[in-house]
Amino acid sequence: MPEIETTAAVPSAPADPPQQVEREFTIKAMTQRQLVFRRFFRHRGAMTALVVLGAAVLLAFSSIGVAGIPGWWDASYAEAGQVVSGGPTLDVLPSPIDGDGLQVGAHPFGQDDVGRDYFALTMRGMQRSLLIALLVGLTATVIGVVIGSLAGFFRGKIDAILMRVTDVILTIPLLLTAAVVGRTSDGGAVSLALLLGLIVWTSLARLVRGEFLSLREKEFVEAARALGASSTRIIFRHIVPNTLGTIIVNATLTIASAILLETALSFLGFGVQNPDTSLGKLISDYQTAFQTRPWLFWWPGLFIVLIALTINFIGDGLRDAFDPKQTRVRA
Amino acid sequence: MMTEHSGSTPQVPDNSADNSADSSKAPLLQVEDLTVRFPTEDGIVNAVRGVSYCLAEREVLGIVGESGSGKSVSSMAVMGLLPRSALISGRILLEGQDILKMSAKQQRSLRGRRVAMIFQDPMTALNPVYTIGDQLAEAVRSHAAIPKKAALARAAEMLDLVGIPQPKERLRAYPHEFSGGMRQRVMIAMAVINNPDIIIADEPTTALDVTVQAQILETLLEVKDAVNAAIILITHDLGVVAGMAHRVVVMYAGRPVEIGTTDEVFGSPRMPYTAGLLGSIPDLEATVDRLTPIPGAPPSLINLPKGCPFSPRCPLVEARCVDVEPDLQDTDQVSHLAACHRWPLVSQLEDPSVIFTPTKVGSL
Amino acid sequence: MPVFVLRRLVVSVFILLVSSFLIFFLVANSGDPLGDLRTDTSPNREQKIEHRIEKLHLDQPVPQRYMTWLGGVSKCAVPGLGCDLGQSVRDQDVSVLLSQALSATLQLVTAAIVLSIILGVTVGVVSSLRQYSGFDYTITFTAFLFFSLPVFWVAVLLKQYLAIEANDWYDDPKIGLTSTVVLSLLSGLFWGAILGGKRARRWIVRGTAAVLTAGLLQYLSAVEWFQRPALGPALIALLSFGTAVGLTALLAGLHRRNVLYGCLTTAAVGSVVQFPALNWIEDSTWASWTNVGLLALGAIAVAAVIGYFFGGLDRGPAIRACVLTALFTGAFMVTDILLRTVPSYSQKVNGRILATTGAETPDLNGTFWQNQLDQITHLILPTLAIMLISFATYSRYSRATMLDVMNQDYVRTARAKGLTERTVVVRHAFRNALIPLTTLAAVDLGVIVGGAVITEKVFARRGMGSLFVTALDQVDPNPVMGFYIVTAVSIVVFNMLADIAYAYLDPRIRLS
Ligand SMILES: Nc1ncnc2c1ncn2[C@@H]1O[C@H](COP(=O)(O)OP(=O)(O)OP(=O)(O)O)[C@@H](O)[C@H]1O
Ligand code: SF4
Ligand SMILES: [Mg+2]
Repeated sequence: MPEIETTAAVPSAPADPPQQVEREFTIKAMTQRQLVFRRFFRHRGAMTALVVLGAAVLLAFSSIGVAGIPGWWDASYAEAGQVVSGGPTLDVLPSPIDGDGLQVGAHPFGQDDVGRDYFALTMRGMQRSLLIALLVGLTATVIGVVIGSLAGFFRGKIDAILMRVTDVILTIPLLLTAAVVGRTSDGGAVSLALLLGLIVWTSLARLVRGEFLSLREKEFVEAARALGASSTRIIFRHIVPNTLGTIIVNATLTIASAILLETALSFLGFGVQNPDTSLGKLISDYQTAFQTRPWLFWWPGLFIVLIALTINFIGDGLRDAFDPKQTRVRA
Repeated sequence: MMTEHSGSTPQVPDNSADNSADSSKAPLLQVEDLTVRFPTEDGIVNAVRGVSYCLAEREVLGIVGESGSGKSVSSMAVMGLLPRSALISGRILLEGQDILKMSAKQQRSLRGRRVAMIFQDPMTALNPVYTIGDQLAEAVRSHAAIPKKAALARAAEMLDLVGIPQPKERLRAYPHEFSGGMRQRVMIAMAVINNPDIIIADEPTTALDVTVQAQILETLLEVKDAVNAAIILITHDLGVVAGMAHRVVVMYAGRPVEIGTTDEVFGSPRMPYTAGLLGSIPDLEATVDRLTPIPGAPPSLINLPKGCPFSPRCPLVEARCVDVEPDLQDTDQVSHLAACHRWPLVSQLEDPSVIFTPTKVGSL
Repeated sequence: MPVFVLRRLVVSVFILLVSSFLIFFLVANSGDPLGDLRTDTSPNREQKIEHRIEKLHLDQPVPQRYMTWLGGVSKCAVPGLGCDLGQSVRDQDVSVLLSQALSATLQLVTAAIVLSIILGVTVGVVSSLRQYSGFDYTITFTAFLFFSLPVFWVAVLLKQYLAIEANDWYDDPKIGLTSTVVLSLLSGLFWGAILGGKRARRWIVRGTAAVLTAGLLQYLSAVEWFQRPALGPALIALLSFGTAVGLTALLAGLHRRNVLYGCLTTAAVGSVVQFPALNWIEDSTWASWTNVGLLALGAIAVAAVIGYFFGGLDRGPAIRACVLTALFTGAFMVTDILLRTVPSYSQKVNGRILATTGAETPDLNGTFWQNQLDQITHLILPTLAIMLISFATYSRYSRATMLDVMNQDYVRTARAKGLTERTVVVRHAFRNALIPLTTLAAVDLGVIVGGAVITEKVFARRGMGSLFVTALDQVDPNPVMGFYIVTAVSIVVFNMLADIAYAYLDPRIRLS
């Protein structure tokens, strides 16, 4: 019954002539990307988070300026001054409620014990914390992707060695390495971030390796190999674009957790050291002030929560956008 | 074209001879004006738009149609397995009782007992963490209060029926120890274990190796006879339908566009889409230019065009096709319905698939 | 399997060697162990320095020092040789320090992690079954919020606000009108989200829950329940019967009458037995965990017998449900005793019943149950702090896993067989979701041995975390290395257990 065997093909899907395969693939990739964008922009949580985070970043950098460019806020984070009352002058309740109307005042977040403007200090801390988080995320992602893709693509000995290196790092509790590393660093935000990046790449490396292992067996990779494409070309043209979802989502989540890791380290005294600063360092510096001047503890903490929360939401939106099947229930 | 129907297909037993469809009795299953809609982010998907058909006892009804034409959704509605978000209307009468009006509990007690289902992909349809025996026994025990031992004995009996050697020992095996064909046999065993009246087989062989497809279909027919069940066979494979089904429903864009006995529909289609389907089957005896696929793609189920849904692709389209959607109506043949304004024209053609041969369209 | 485990062991030992050297090297370079002595002004300074150099082998180059350390550590692998993890700068044996710290940490972390797993998984599963409901959105947001909280910030807030507020409130525990309204509304929202259903039904649920909560709070407040809290025999019996019904619904389905009757019988027996049992374990001569354990064993045996005889065709589920009913009833009794201990305990600690520092009140000299209560009140706040993140992790992870599993074809098959929704969810979906969840939990348990470094510091508990932080701060290499070796070995062992659990739960792995 030869007819039936051949008719097993779907009637509506006539086989493509072979020369069209490459074009088919790029067309699909385009629509795939559009789909991802559309899903992401429809994710209400992620979009709200993006706007809030954008506003916070803008506030941090425009208010006190950056890299020598002055901002619109006059008070300096470095200069001590006259302690007026110390308390925050920010008032967001309109006058019908508490009678004195909306106002920012001279020291919206209050002053610290030597009279420095706490708003400027918090903004400075936020700049440094964001820098740390971003650097950790970048370093970890680059290392993780390189190691994971080398291991997953070449397999064999390279894989074995790289994965054992990963195992070595994974057997050490993160906080231990981080603390020892933090202690070894000079206490500057940048060097701390780079060192942390050197140790938090392991989970991404494993994920990327896993994806490479499965992708390298796929037809389009086989086809490219048969056409004589070089390993570099196969990795960067064919496999990496397909692992982009994993990489981007993971990088985002690494950034969120880096903010918290820095905070924890600074609290333990192994993080950022004077004269540099960060949100984590601000809270831990002023935790003893909690009874007398609680705002010194509140503000940096609130901004840490804000940044970590928004980045986590963005990461969630990205995950949904890249991998909708994980979240949609069929029945 | 119809060679496989006239007996040259030994692998697929032709049992249209013992056609037991008895038109005088009330049908076993009667689906009336079934519509299913899914609210989605992009709008409402009209997956099924007014499907009506009936199924007699022990009958084999084939449902064919392009991917996305609503074949699975309409039969999942019969099983009561659609997601909660689905908006369903119409009537599904099982021996005169409307399934859609039943309580969840009553629906559940029909499922697997009176109406059973076999799915497309046997590799994923069985739970990997339980043994075959457990999963079969569970199907029995969910409808009858009997000891596990008795249920397992019944399971072994069923495995034997579907042709799995050493059934007693195989009860303790896990699904991953079985090949795809064997797993589909297990699914068939699971479907008939409670002596159902209806078996819905949704592309039961699509995921299988070509060499075992015919065996599985044969098993399905044997088992059907053993338990006296009717079968709704959903497939893309017109050859299979031609060899097995008494009657055929052709679906397009969520609607049946042609219903009739297999001989009528495949021998003398009354609707261009069916003709196109038949023409798109490669035929080894014919010359290459006989292979004429239907150009274009099915319409979006969210914004359906006015008029006949097939009109954008139909070579015979004329003004009223674009204006008015044709109803499913009687044609010149007994019990042969088609949804096409121009069925009389189609009926005059010797070989209707010429409709899609570009050079000949102009002459029609 | 044995071959697989053996291979993993060999590789692990190798990995541990490499990572221990790495850490040793880093620690050796992280500061000057003689730093504090250099500024020392006492007359025997030189002597002290000499002593420390000798003790820490500071005269040797780092690799040689490492080999010395390794020699001591490797003795731990062979029983009888005596473990030598070196000494701290304060001349304490590191192995002694470690064992104290480890038991303190386990005491702190075990309850927190078990609670977060149970709560997190339950909430995650319910959330996945009610995807895109108000409950789901609330849980998702809460989990993200918990993920984003700096632990020590929250810990300080808990300590400074929650503890102080709660203790002040306990001076005169009355529930005011505002609190009643707020709590009732929250309770209404909570039950509405949990029970779900159509709009009308949901409003009914919300209203009923809110009114009941308000009434309950006012009643408790009026009869001064908070001053003298207790469950009492009637409530214990009621809770026990409720548990019986709930467990039957969950484990077998209420239509399985024999299971239901078995559980109800167990609850009835428990409600009667509570009188002698409570008298017995409350008596100070009898009160001990051993006796509580013996009672529990007895209860399990009785419940199993009841389940066996009532079970009929569903013997397995019946025994399980009965045993759990019995255990829950026992737990209600223990809760009752603890609650009744509160007034006398409160007097001993001057009404500050929510403790914020340490693991126990010094010089309490209480009875057995007062001591237990004391430990619990010290555990509440740190447990909350630890649970925040763990709860978030487990609820997110189990939600994602359940969504994934519920989409699998075999779940559709299970429905097509006509199984009840309970069987589909519990037996088919959840059983498969357990595979990755168990792996996660096993790996997690390996990490907790390292202690909750930050929580321990904030609440001044002397566990593994504080041992490590203090040692690192004082440039005291041996305790740091001791901390490392314990945590690393536990990570390795639990990772291996995770693999074994995986193979046990997933038959596809089992054979190969
Ligand atoms: N849960 C759902 N939500 C939204 N749309 C759905 C859902 N289930 C099915 N559909 C849509 O309904 C239409 C009909 O689907 P159905 O699965 O019935 O097609 P089919 O004829 O069985 O196709 P195939 O041959 O590919 O199995 C499709 O367009 C599909 O996208
Ligand atoms: S109604 Fe018109 S457009 Fe539709 S199939 Fe018939 S001829 Fe073609
Ligand atoms: Mg289908």
